[in-house]
Amino acid sequence: MINGAPLHWDAHRVSATTFAALLLPAITTVILRGPEMLAPVAIGLGLGLLWSFVFSVLRKSTFQWHSLISALIFVLLLPVATPVWQLVISLSFGLVFGDLIFGGRGRGFLNAAVVGLAFLLFSFPETEPESVAPQVAIAAGLASVLLLAYGVLSWRIVAAFGLCIAVLVPFLPASADLQNLQSATVILGLVFLIGDPVAGASTHLGRWLYGALAAALVILLGQAGTGIGSLSSVVFAALLASIFAPLLDQIAVYANVRRRAKRQRYEP
Amino acid sequence: MHYDIRRGIKAPLGPTPQGAPLKTPAVETVALLGNDYPNVVFDLRVKEGDAVRAGQTLCVDRRRPEICFVAAASGHVSQIKLGPRRRLEMLEITGAGDDAVTFAKDDLRKLLLKAGAWPSFRTRPFGLIPDPTATPAAIFVTATNPTPQAPDPHRVLTTQTVNFERGVAALLQLTTGPVFVCQRKGAPLLPPRDRLKIVTFSGPYPSGNAGPQIHRLMPVSRHRMVCDIGYQDVVAIGHLLASAQIKTTRFVSVSGASKAEAVTVPLGAKLSEVVGGMNHFDPDNLLSGSRLAGQKSLYLRRRDLQISALETDGARRPFWQRILEALPAVPTGATLPTEAFERAFPFAILPVPLMRALAVGDVETAERLGCLDLIEEDMAPLTRLCPSGCDYGHLLRHTLNQILSEGVA
Repeated sequence: MINGAPLHWDAHRVSATTFAALLLPAITTVILRGPEMLAPVAIGLGLGLLWSFVFSVLRKSTFQWHSLISALIFVLLLPVATPVWQLVISLSFGLVFGDLIFGGRGRGFLNAAVVGLAFLLFSFPETEPESVAPQVAIAAGLASVLLLAYGVLSWRIVAAFGLCIAVLVPFLPASADLQNLQSATVILGLVFLIGDPVAGASTHLGRWLYGALAAALVILLGQAGTGIGSLSSVVFAALLASIFAPLLDQIAVYANVRRRAKRQRYEP
Repeated sequence: MHYDIRRGIKAPLGPTPQGAPLKTPAVETVALLGNDYPNVVFDLRVKEGDAVRAGQTLCVDRRRPEICFVAAASGHVSQIKLGPRRRLEMLEITGAGDDAVTFAKDDLRKLLLKAGAWPSFRTRPFGLIPDPTATPAAIFVTATNPTPQAPDPHRVLTTQTVNFERGVAALLQLTTGPVFVCQRKGAPLLPPRDRLKIVTFSGPYPSGNAGPQIHRLMPVSRHRMVCDIGYQDVVAIGHLLASAQIKTTRFVSVSGASKAEAVTVPLGAKLSEVVGGMNHFDPDNLLSGSRLAGQKSLYLRRRDLQISALETDGARRPFWQRILEALPAVPTGATLPTEAFERAFPFAILPVPLMRALAVGDVETAERLGCLDLIEEDMAPLTRLCPSGCDYGHLLRHTLNQILSEGVA
């Protein structure tokens, strides 16, 4: 390895950095909620290992450590009262159909935790969503600094998200509970679900548009349904925004091609 | 004109050779490397064991036999290594002496072709040796050190000003367009004239490479071809015009983690012989080029002015970096489209869409996204950062060759 030179980033190292960032909110949650949190975390991590192992054997490919991270995010955002069998089914669905079936991390276009949570909220709508403790929001905010520093989380997405919310808030009816926009669910969702590089746009302009679209969807879905800042509004906003991300990238590509065509004619 | 390029890889890379006394290590072995010239099919003019003089033609380009590749030292041909498809991989010359060919006065182009100076030009688009009759729209003299560990052009040129001026005057005859001398901040290397323009660039690696500079000053296309050439090659042209003999040596730096040296060595010098007399460098662990973009090589590559010595101790790296390095490496995978790519890529080109187009071999999209502005060395930051383990320089070369084979209008 080269002394002083930046690391060569491979998939494991990016995953390890994300995992390090995720540890802080995870530990905070476990401390706050106490031992009842340990069983879902253990089951989630076990499922992540299991499905990665199954797919690495079936596909004869490298083991995907990232499933552990997806499972951990899923468990952190999961409503506490969820029965174990619902957790197992929806997390398995998310890991397999959100990630592993495409060939692993980076080959799909959705975040596995988002797919799993969307499945859970669709299939078992009676699940009582419960907001995550506010201390976790601070922990997630601190974790995002690490991810921002390495460019894993794009500051453009975060900035566009914040700006769009600031623009839209005056249009909301006075009765709306705006405090919830700073809830831990929104911040965790922004850092680990919406900000996931695989699920998001991959150009600068695309990232601005993507962050703004996600914020608009969070407010729209929250206002129309389950309340602003609720889990389902964040999850479905992340899901829809990721589906639109390739389109936003195409807009960025067209803008870039036009700009460079103009530069071609330029003579210094 | 000044350009501040902010995107790139910023990393502390150890001591710089500025101020180090100039050394001349005894180098007996030099080599001509086939990989320095992409797409060239070599026709050999010598065989193993032949005695050669410095400046003597070793081989020519089969498709354009006017282009000669000459010996950088006198001696005998000690080894010829052929690679896949019997393409010349390496031609090694061993020996000493200063027996050199003296070239007859001739037309400038013919002299440059015959004396082996023509291959120091590189076209853009495509990154190849220009056609002997080609007239580029502009010529870029790269007098910017890619990293601070490379020799400082200002220092190198203080003793070579006359030859540099003569070389630049020759470049002005080869093009009807401008000649850009790209340098770092400081006193201008030459007084600017009407077609001779001085442009300064600042910024981290790769702002010192020709790619980002050409991209800003004169973006290329299928219809506009420009050439770039290193500043020491311009000095060599000036020397050739003055003395009718080739300039075989280059001013090069050797840098490690704790020490840096300034040396003059012949072109294609064997790296282990360059550091032979310097105890603080490990002769088995040398890169031709910088720490960020250099390649493992036994010999100095044609365009490199820098040798980097790597060391094996990991004691001084930060703790978290050692943890990450201890993880098992993944040989191949998919890319993760993080913002890190844009931070390191100083072009108005979208890196992730381009990487995807190159990886799937989508030639049309790659061209639309601007791959003609790029050559292999420009992709090095992306290759370094991409977790997929793809060599994007390689993929780009493949795509460029496909565009060439379909015919350039």
